[in-house]
Amino acid sequence: MFDGMNATASALTAQRLRMDTASGNMANASATRGRMVDGEWEPYRRKMVTMAPQENRPSFASHLQNAERENTEGVQVTGIVEDQTPFQTMHQPGHPDADEDGNVELPNVDPLKEMVDVMGATRSYEANVTVFDAHKAMKMNAMEIGRG
Amino acid sequence: MALFSSTIDQLHNGLDGAELRQNTIANNIANADTPNYKARKASFEHMLGDARQQFDSQKTDGRHVDFGEGHREAYTSVDRSRSYNHNGNSVDMDKEMAEMANNQIYQSALVDRMDGQFGNLKTALGGQ
Repeated sequence: MFDGMNATASALTAQRLRMDTASGNMANASATRGRMVDGEWEPYRRKMVTMAPQENRPSFASHLQNAERENTEGVQVTGIVEDQTPFQTMHQPGHPDADEDGNVELPNVDPLKEMVDVMGATRSYEANVTVFDAHKAMKMNAMEIGRG
Repeated sequence: MALFSSTIDQLHNGLDGAELRQNTIANNIANADTPNYKARKASFEHMLGDARQQFDSQKTDGRHVDFGEGHREAYTSVDRSRSYNHNGNSVDMDKEMAEMANNQIYQSALVDRMDGQFGNLKTALGGQ
């Protein structure tokens, strides 16, 4: 009975995580000490959320049914992956993390990309809130049967 | 004489269908950002009324496929050929939202009618 609402709830969680990840990226846009690799600091790497349709009920019968009827129950976050694009470098000789030539490696975070992601997540979140409201209204409406 | 008319059964079918459609739309919108997700479509209108086709058929062999006997229940279908997004996703947000508004009104109308049916029953039982 609450399948639809649960599906929407999973999407709200996923979109919130997307938003959090984008915030984390923005906050660390100039963090030069993200992780220690072989005794040297590596700048922060941009993180991204990957999502896939959620299929509950992991039994043989349910797999068969899903294959036949293509049922899904919301969305699930399959992981947070790191963006492997190269780091930006900047000439800044006075920086404590500069190499011998005075170049500093900076995170591969592009604020513009993050903003686009934030806007996408916001819009999707809003859409799911609308769906949730509609669903709730329908359920409450059905409760009225036989009352009057 | 049956206490509940067939109208109530049909309204019931309609409400079940509206719920299936709502769940399908909820899933589509939940997966609006999922790569390679294909939007599903709920079909149930064929269950309403007595529109199901009744074939006058006779099986001459046990291996023959059934004709009009079991009618198909509500189902969801996927169109794999479409894509609205560069990542293979085919959810059209505007379409889904419009569909949901339609479904809401449809369900509301059904609930109203169902309520009316019970109201009639009540009046009849009250004997006034």
